[in-house]
Amino acid sequence: MFRSFNKWYFGALAFLLFTGSFDAQAQGEGLFKSKCATCHQPHKDGTGPKLFQVREKWESGGAKEGSLVKWVHNWQAAAATDPYAEQVSKMYPSAMSAFPELSEEEINSIFDYVDAQPDPATVVAGPTGGDTGMTEVQEEGGFSWIWILMGAVFLIVIVAVGGVRRQLKSVLNEKEGLPTKEDATYAEELRSWAWTNKIYVGIGSLVVILALLVAGYRELGNIGVVEAYQPSQPIDFPHSVHAGVNGIDCRYCHNSATKSKSAGIPTVNVCMNCHKQVSGRTPEQETKIKAIYEAAGWDGTMYSGDTKPIKWNKVHVLPDHVYFNHSQHVTVAGIDCKQCHGDMTKQKETARVVPVSELNKVEGNIKLTRATLTMGWCIECHAETGISDGPLDGKKDGYYDEIHKRLMDNDKKLYNKYLEDGKVTVKELGGWECAKCHY
Amino acid sequence: MGTTRKYWKGIEELNQTPEFIQSRDQEFPRSTSVDEFLGDEKLRETSTDRRDFLKFLGFSVAAATVAACESPVTKVIPYVIKPENVTPGMPTWYASTYYDGASYASILVKTREGRPIFVKGNRDYGFTAGAVNPQIVASVLPLYDSNRLRDPKANGATVSDWRQDIDNPIKQQLAAIAAKKGKVVLVSNTIISPATFAAIDTLRMKVNGGDAAGTSFEHIQYDPVSYAGIRKANEATFGMPIIPDYDFSKAKTIVSIGADFMNGWLMSNEYTHQYSTRRNPDADWMSKHFQFESILSVSGSNADYRGMIKPSEQASVLAYLLGKFGVTTGVSSQLNAAATKIADVAFDALKKSKKESLVISSSNNVAVQILVNKLNAVLGAYDATINVNNPVNMFASQDEKMNQFVNNVIGGKNPDAVIFYGTNPVYTLPNGLEFAKAIKNIGLSVSLSQFEDETASNCKFIAPDHNMLEAWNDFNPKKNHFAIAQPTIRPLFNTAQAQESFLIWGDTNNVYARGGKDSKVVYDFIRATWGTTLFASQSVLVDEETFWNKTIHDSCYDLELVAASAPAFNDAALGGVASKITAPKGEVEVILYQKSAIGLGLQVNPWLHEMADSISKVTWDNYITMNPTEMEKGKYKISFDQEHGLNIATVKVGNKDLFLPVYPSPGQAIGTVGIALGYGRGENDENIGNAAFVTKEYGGFAADEKGNRVPVGKNAYRFVSFENGTYHYDLAGSVKKELSDLYPIAATQIHHTVMARHSIVKETTLDIYKSKGKEAYNPSHMIATHDGAKPVSDFDLWDAHPVKHVGHRWGMTIDLNNCIGCGACLIACQVENNVPVVGKDEVRRAREMAWLRIDRYYSSDEEATIGLRKDKETFSYHKAEIPVENPKVVHMPMMCQHCNHASCETVCPVAATNHSNEGLNQMSYNRCIGTRYCANNCPYKVRRFNWFNYPSYKKFTQVNPSQDDLGRMVLNPDVTVRTRGVMEKCSFCVQKIQSGKLTAKKEGRSVVDGDVTSACAEVCPSNAITFGDWNDTTSSIRKSSEETRAYQVLEEIGMQPNVWYKTKVRNEKNTLLETLQVDKKVVAHNTTDNKH
Repeated sequence: MFRSFNKWYFGALAFLLFTGSFDAQAQGEGLFKSKCATCHQPHKDGTGPKLFQVREKWESGGAKEGSLVKWVHNWQAAAATDPYAEQVSKMYPSAMSAFPELSEEEINSIFDYVDAQPDPATVVAGPTGGDTGMTEVQEEGGFSWIWILMGAVFLIVIVAVGGVRRQLKSVLNEKEGLPTKEDATYAEELRSWAWTNKIYVGIGSLVVILALLVAGYRELGNIGVVEAYQPSQPIDFPHSVHAGVNGIDCRYCHNSATKSKSAGIPTVNVCMNCHKQVSGRTPEQETKIKAIYEAAGWDGTMYSGDTKPIKWNKVHVLPDHVYFNHSQHVTVAGIDCKQCHGDMTKQKETARVVPVSELNKVEGNIKLTRATLTMGWCIECHAETGISDGPLDGKKDGYYDEIHKRLMDNDKKLYNKYLEDGKVTVKELGGWECAKCHY
Repeated sequence: MGTTRKYWKGIEELNQTPEFIQSRDQEFPRSTSVDEFLGDEKLRETSTDRRDFLKFLGFSVAAATVAACESPVTKVIPYVIKPENVTPGMPTWYASTYYDGASYASILVKTREGRPIFVKGNRDYGFTAGAVNPQIVASVLPLYDSNRLRDPKANGATVSDWRQDIDNPIKQQLAAIAAKKGKVVLVSNTIISPATFAAIDTLRMKVNGGDAAGTSFEHIQYDPVSYAGIRKANEATFGMPIIPDYDFSKAKTIVSIGADFMNGWLMSNEYTHQYSTRRNPDADWMSKHFQFESILSVSGSNADYRGMIKPSEQASVLAYLLGKFGVTTGVSSQLNAAATKIADVAFDALKKSKKESLVISSSNNVAVQILVNKLNAVLGAYDATINVNNPVNMFASQDEKMNQFVNNVIGGKNPDAVIFYGTNPVYTLPNGLEFAKAIKNIGLSVSLSQFEDETASNCKFIAPDHNMLEAWNDFNPKKNHFAIAQPTIRPLFNTAQAQESFLIWGDTNNVYARGGKDSKVVYDFIRATWGTTLFASQSVLVDEETFWNKTIHDSCYDLELVAASAPAFNDAALGGVASKITAPKGEVEVILYQKSAIGLGLQVNPWLHEMADSISKVTWDNYITMNPTEMEKGKYKISFDQEHGLNIATVKVGNKDLFLPVYPSPGQAIGTVGIALGYGRGENDENIGNAAFVTKEYGGFAADEKGNRVPVGKNAYRFVSFENGTYHYDLAGSVKKELSDLYPIAATQIHHTVMARHSIVKETTLDIYKSKGKEAYNPSHMIATHDGAKPVSDFDLWDAHPVKHVGHRWGMTIDLNNCIGCGACLIACQVENNVPVVGKDEVRRAREMAWLRIDRYYSSDEEATIGLRKDKETFSYHKAEIPVENPKVVHMPMMCQHCNHASCETVCPVAATNHSNEGLNQMSYNRCIGTRYCANNCPYKVRRFNWFNYPSYKKFTQVNPSQDDLGRMVLNPDVTVRTRGVMEKCSFCVQKIQSGKLTAKKEGRSVVDGDVTSACAEVCPSNAITFGDWNDTTSSIRKSSEETRAYQVLEEIGMQPNVWYKTKVRNEKNTLLETLQVDKKVVAHNTTDNKH
């Protein structure tokens, strides 16, 4: 039902968008996002006031004709000529930037776009995409119960039918005058049946035992494998909004990935760089963002100093005896985040360990077979990856230049052997050695 | 082969005792038989019947299965506001300064995520030039000692409000004392901090009622080991009560009379560095070092010539030398024959080097120090090696004042108040116990100690100071040198810096207020003090801000040095000397000395307790050192092993006695015994740290009859005497052997033997080195073939690993000439690599976990003539039995040699240890199944097995810091904490190699010298260890390994190690050696082996 509601909602939204001049809308949207959205929101006051129906507001407030456009071009000029504009200029402590390059038409397209935005606080009172996902998870959870239930039903049916059959057979035997085993239990009957079909039963049980052993062995191999691990989080952080919609670079928040072994969970002050302004458009977003404010001790106007660290649940957990360094892979090898973490711009839910099957679909990735974050996964990639594939090749990478030079000068034969597949792989330079990651 | 000296590692090896042979033949001691094991009464405690066993088995299988299915959820908690200079996963280094009242050094502190985890010397700034001692490297652990005071204490009760519970009552009482013109005494160690002096002055003014000249306030500086004798002698001879600035790097001849100047004596860190710069046989000149001493000290073990004298003969050596220079002193110059011989050689050397000589003495007897001054003045050393114009501000112990004060207090003449800062007189005074009782009668007693130690526990108020890593501080160790210590972590507990306390207690106008953990009082005060004094006295920097920032960055600032100039010598001072030098009254002379690890006993630190002593290799104990020849006469046991301990004796000095085991120490002067200071802490069960106390076999502390914990070792400070205005550490007494049980000793000495293979240590003299070829002093190992002799490196059983010339090849050289055996590397290795502490009982069983050890080999000239092993058939140790009273010593650091043909790698059934293409012998713990084949097969005996789960097993709760929530903070997060059942060993600090390489990669350049270094090389005060990429032809390791002195230990067995040692060169005359070490012509071959 929710899903159909969503469909209806998105449909309505699309309809609204298309009713206006599509080009103007698109232009307005682009301009709004690039010029205004830093300080203004359609329906909410931020650094600057909300812009929804601002033209009507100015008009009813008694502003002069064209004064609003003038304001956008240069607010000081507008304030000097229009008493209403002067009044507006005193409402907010921060001064607005001047945009003399915008034409009147462009400015109007921005306002058209803003006015076309529904107020999420009143229009969308229902759940969002995130919740739909949760519901799906619950449905999946229900599935396994259904299986168990069906299994139980089938078992009862089998037993019941078996009982009936037994009764019938005994009646039949009686009728035909054969000896009946009145007191034969199920077990005895089963035994006698197995005895008569001992070859099939033997082969069958061998197959079953072997299958169980193989399955057990494979299952043992999965202990500690955290593929698709997706722990709950204190805040349902949607990467899709931050990295996707807003296009924030991964390394803005995970900024130690280029410098350190750990990529770093963003500290609350990094969140606050943006969220000091962005407090959410929907009640649901507001509650999430409020958790950040609580952690930072931000009461909307100032920091109280009473901070409360956010306790995230670690997603990518490596065993203690493994040393992994992000900067080696990000800075030196030039690997893109998504090559190991998947495309986070599409991750609407909390972060998870992306299974290798999905990683294999990432453009430019080497196709791997072992589960993500297992040692097999690491060394498979190390065996295939060429050392000179990174962006440092030939430009500033004096480190590998020197290593290649030593190989060439001192052991040409070995170097040629390495180059048989056209590249010197990580493995060939020692990427498979224990003490590269275990110490 | 060119071995000319017989090396042996202990009396046991020399005598080939059955115990020794047994232990030598077994890397791991014989396991007990099943009957013996089951018959062990102690096992009852852990007895389990069959059904219980099955229950446990069933349960653990089930538990393991369940546990394996569900991985625990790991929390990750980022900062709320990230400090600018912290990057998670990256270290941040701070330049700071270490001063504990005895040791001083400019240091660098490594922090990870805000936790200090490593301390090393600062090689770029400060006169210590990167030299540190074991205590300084270990000083990061006391920060995390959970026995530290977490709150102040008032009248025995823990209080939390500094202002209300500490400051107000103290200020009230001080005001009352000031009003009635009473007396306040501040007892501290030597303070070298200008800001601390200024802070104390505010307190002085307050107590004196604003009168600067008032006498109500008295400040007594008192050091556990005093050098007042030197100051007094300088006052008598030059009119300056100073300790001059010695420069060992300018001394061509060094004559040390009992002074262990590389371990504890004055500014030993600085001296070690200076000394080591002149021990290079390839340089223009190499210093000649004479040592006349009673115990075998660290310095003495490195001497070119060593004479054994009693402490009472110190003056005789000086009188003898002075006599040869034509100065008569009236002091007896009678010496034993052997010492006289060496004194003659010393005289010749001194005559030759004239003012480029340095004579020092350990005696705190003013008269002896006056003789030292005279000899230095005769030589002209005050122009060159001794600078009286740049005096040392440290070691300003006021012995007379302190002795008077203590006697007054004990006698009931109390001051109205006493404050103890940086000092622990109850522990370090000879009459400390009487003093402890008397302190209780003083109206106001305050201690600023971090622990509720021996003194603090008797005080009414304890206002705990910050740990040095939590505090701002400034220092002025020498006249021209100023230094800053900066905090590297926010204070862990509710403590307050001592200077802040002084300022607040002395505050008359309410200028200062307690600021809690983020207090800036002391910072502001130091900065203001520096702004008005030091900044004003220099003219290089004009801006105070720049000056301050530069000082913080460098950690120190130097004013212009006033060059040495000879002061006029007052000969009248020599007049009364003879009468002040009296013969000792007692059968035996007792020397109180400092061990390299424990020093004065200022730290209670399990790392230091478990560090094998530089000379004796004993851990966790102090003991009576006695020459084995004398012990044999006294029917003492001179050999011991894990099951058999040593005899116990009672040493009596005056009316006090100590009950200690007697340890055979060759080199100990006959008629003398030595006892180490710094042990026996916590006699009354004071809470000073777990490592101070003896633990039981299955964990927990041992208790005496009163239920108190039993201290480790005995407190030898009780023997200190006060004579002629100074405290004395050389005493006369008697030793009586006791008939009690043998005392178990945990020494690393008889383990890991050399198996009598003499290609381990190579040694020569400077003359031979200069005049003969390599084959004379560092002969190649040749193997006879059909085509003649060929070097051993030509033979290979296997294909070589492709490490040579390709990629990196990490290597190390260790210069035996520079290694002084101090042990700083041992602690650095322990800190860097999370090596567990295992306690005395385990060390005794040869289960110490140290990845790096320093083998100390005794040699003997006499034996060289016999023990050349020209005829292997007839050679026997017993025939070679000769007097071993005064052996020569070689210190040899030994760790995994990272052999390119490693014998351990070939025997591992699971390939847990294997070779990297960078030449490292890698150890992967997760793969190891603990067969211990590798350790059995290692010829260097450097592998260690985790017999227990040290981070959790109850036996180690008291000793291993990683079992403590706070102590765990010191662990290096880049190194795995190993679990039970796996092998471990030196990794060449692979985590540092990896991070050094990564730095180079990120900066887009190749690895250069200095990018990668090991923890041991980093802290070595004498630069004996060189580490780097051998394949880099310009690297210092490559050059070092290609020197003619370089050799590989046990080269003949063809392991091809990546560690080279460099032949020790003694600057001595040894005619015997000259006849034996003859140059041979060999087929020229390249030792660096090009064929791979």
